[in-house]
Amino acid sequence: MATEPKPNKVKTDLLRVEGVTKIFDGVIKAVDDVSLTVAQGEIFALLGGSGCGKSTLLRLLAGFEVPTKGRIFLAGQDITDLPPYQRPINMMFQSYALFPHLTVWQNIAFGLQRDHMPKAQIAERVESMLKLIQLTSFAQRKPHQLSGGQQQRVALARSLAKQPKLLLLDEPLGALDKKLREKTQVELVGIIEEVGVTCVLVTHDQEEAMTMASTIAVMHEGTILQTGTPDEVYERPNSRQVAEFIGDVNIFEGQIETYAADHVRIRSEVCVHYLMHGISGHVGLSVVVAVRPEKIVLSKKRPAGEVNWCVGEVVALVYFGDHTIYHIQLANAQVIKAQQMNRTTDLAEAITSGDRVYASWSGLALVVLVQ
Amino acid sequence: MEWSGLGSVGSISAFWSQLVVIINHFKKLLSGKSLLISLPYLWLILLVAIPLLIVLKISLSDMGPTSVTDVLSWSQGWPTIKINFSSYLFLASDQLYIDTYLSSIKYALLTTLICLVVGFPFAYFMARAPKYLQPMLLMLIMLPFWTSFLLRIYAWKTLLVSNGIINNALLSLGVINQPLAIMNNSFSLVLGMVYSYLPFMILPLYANLSKLDLRFLEAAADLGANAFKTFWLVTVPLSKAGIIAGSMLVFIPAVGEYVIPELLGGSDTLMIGRVLWDEFFANNDWPMASAVAVVMMLLILLPMSLLSRYQSEQAESKL
Repeated sequence: MATEPKPNKVKTDLLRVEGVTKIFDGVIKAVDDVSLTVAQGEIFALLGGSGCGKSTLLRLLAGFEVPTKGRIFLAGQDITDLPPYQRPINMMFQSYALFPHLTVWQNIAFGLQRDHMPKAQIAERVESMLKLIQLTSFAQRKPHQLSGGQQQRVALARSLAKQPKLLLLDEPLGALDKKLREKTQVELVGIIEEVGVTCVLVTHDQEEAMTMASTIAVMHEGTILQTGTPDEVYERPNSRQVAEFIGDVNIFEGQIETYAADHVRIRSEVCVHYLMHGISGHVGLSVVVAVRPEKIVLSKKRPAGEVNWCVGEVVALVYFGDHTIYHIQLANAQVIKAQQMNRTTDLAEAITSGDRVYASWSGLALVVLVQ
Repeated sequence: MEWSGLGSVGSISAFWSQLVVIINHFKKLLSGKSLLISLPYLWLILLVAIPLLIVLKISLSDMGPTSVTDVLSWSQGWPTIKINFSSYLFLASDQLYIDTYLSSIKYALLTTLICLVVGFPFAYFMARAPKYLQPMLLMLIMLPFWTSFLLRIYAWKTLLVSNGIINNALLSLGVINQPLAIMNNSFSLVLGMVYSYLPFMILPLYANLSKLDLRFLEAAADLGANAFKTFWLVTVPLSKAGIIAGSMLVFIPAVGEYVIPELLGGSDTLMIGRVLWDEFFANNDWPMASAVAVVMMLLILLPMSLLSRYQSEQAESKL
């Protein structure tokens, strides 16, 4: 094992999905011509709303569904037609699906026993798994005697026990409450990295995807809209749908007014956007400009210059303690959101509902998307 | 009469407060909820518990020339209880009764087992059938109950006898040369019992299996279990409650079954229900018949109470 290179150093493709389509009942296209590659050692997130096909794609990888079209390769081997029990892939199920009639120990040993591993070796593996998830003293408990977080760890141990080439996680934190999620998330990634297993995880929670995954694929209506690192997907969305799905975003519709290699002016109804870098396009092209709420600065004073600001009235504000989200209605009745850190304790100076404010942003805070 | 001091006033008020407590207690008993609960219990006491006690009483008495002697008699103003164990002693000593009990249990077990083997896959696929089909499949299971049980057993008779429909069909097709002996033997008996009790196996199994979470089966497959292993290691253990309920519902009435052995059984298929009938109506030996009934009930109740204790222990360990 020592001679084996660290998986994250050598980026070889472990999983390759080629043009996979899944049609249910002859009409419903759950997954539509999806191709993707997952590198060895990577945590790959399929992110999308409900019904986007991410779960079906995961089930195709696990072997619970057979693709209507396309092939799936794992480490170069075509596994498209292999039944689930013959794939070197294990899955951690949503809400875990721990066998209720078996103890923690038996749950973890279940997969090893199916491989006819010698008893002593099974015991050794299960013990090491229990140590990994720090539940050694819970070995003889039944799943229902464990807390949600403990069940989640047992489910992880069960899916890792066979040392699969690929680990599938279906909404791994979905069944936990918010407080427990953050803690579990860190633990989960810690264990996955310690084991060094390649992961494909499915989630509808962008925060979960952002914090856990090294690569995110945003799915919508059965197709992948964009694949990239979390910051790429967030800061450089390639479409309005991605921008709107990941985080909050303010959208301004407009036309390119001046077009140059190093800057672009875009006129929208309420303001002029000045972009400090070039984009592909031409004068007169209809585009949308996306600005994230946290990139907007609010001020009661008029900003200098004529570009990258607009003015409006605060119609609502949502106070979070550390930050506040302001809803500002512009002249054309459009409401934008601006997020401000609450940097002072001075409540008198704070912007409140009904105030007329200027919202401004940097020329580097914009994303221009073709309609 | 005069009031004699505080003591008696105290005791009277104590009596009153006691009375109030008792009245309140009864009021509580008569409240809607307890009334609702007590009605079926009252029914059971009147129509099950008391008759059972009467049967027990008869089994412990003598058979007089025309009637059963009373266990309780009055002599010189004192009640005397005369208990007669002779029926039970005879039961225990006569090999015929012991054989009959054993063979009743044997046929009941065989029936239960066949019902389980036939009913499980049936219930399984019914639970997996498309949702819109399930009510109809359920209806089909219940459909036989719309015809009289007795009629259906008679119908089997016409099917199975030597010149019955099955034998005639097979003979005319040339499959067999002489009629199959499929009537008035253990085959026809078990067939009739399986036929009659199969729904009682399927229904609880279906109720149980339709609640089975399919993710458990997927999890098993994911961990390397093939279809057979998944069935044996996950489906069966998880449907244990249904298997037990179904088996009980088949086994208990099957042990004491009278009509089916009478109509479809042969001279060599001994069942306790028939013996019971004979003792009551042919031999007119009520104490003996009652003793046979009491022992039969004990035979069924004992394993059942053990089982229910085991189940409640299981349920407790889950809490």
